Amino acid sequence: MIGLYAIARGAPRDAIGARGERLRVLALGELEAVCGDPPPPLSADAVRAYEAAVRRIAEAAQACLPARFGSCAADENSLSAALEPREAELNEALALVRGREQMTLRVHGTAPEGGAAGGPGTQYLEQRRRARTLPELEPLRAALSGLIRAERLERHTEPGLLASVYHLIDRGSAQAYRQVVESAPLEGLRVTSSGPWPAWSFAPELAP
Amino acid sequence: MRKQSRSEADEIIDRADASLLEIIDHVLNKGVMLQGEVILGVAGVDLIYLRLNALLCAADQLLPRREGT
Repeated sequence: MIGLYAIARGAPRDAIGARGERLRVLALGELEAVCGDPPPPLSADAVRAYEAAVRRIAEAAQACLPARFGSCAADENSLSAALEPREAELNEALALVRGREQMTLRVHGTAPEGGAAGGPGTQYLEQRRRARTLPELEPLRAALSGLIRAERLERHTEPGLLASVYHLIDRGSAQAYRQVVESAPLEGLRVTSSGPWPAWSFAPELAP
Repeated sequence: MRKQSRSEADEIIDRADASLLEIIDHVLNKGVMLQGEVILGVAGVDLIYLRLNALLCAADQLLPRREGT
């Protein structure tokens, strides 16, 4: 059993894993799979150690797509068999995250009620549009436009937590990003930021 | 084994601080996940998925504004 830490390009050859093990880089076509020991049992310490290990890989690699905690394969052959059909998709994602890192925003507030004109169909489409884009964030997006390279938005249903927004920025621009977030005018919304992170939210989910 | 995993997940969630919640969300909720030949090999993760967003929301009540990591 081997643990999968990341899919990468230009991965470091001397990285250390969550259990202190030396990680191996397997070349699978154009992809590099950074592998180590099988995943440790779930614990707070294990999660922290895993995140730190992925962070070390991401900081040293040209491009890094983190693997979810607990990802593992029986052996190199089964790992290769799982990745090979998705090589094009993974290469595309690697190109997107190359030289970049992720910032995460938690958007707190209350979703505006209705308000769309027109019939039920129009209102439905407007609700879908708002759910997809969260237009209340436009002032912040405009202020960050010089820094953001890509965005993923995840709506939440919990009261008070409207959405999580994940932004891809160039490495080294996190401080500038935070400064913009802190000074952005957002009426009725409260936004907290964290990062920089490896590009967790820009790694494709590769369900069969 | 399964019961033990759930207890472990409960303990993590119940004791999680804000920075750990952020790490959990990224590490357990995001990232390349392959199904089939490559599996999630750790039990108890699903329990954390279910409770994470509610906790992230609750954490906002405890945090100073716009805290970074």
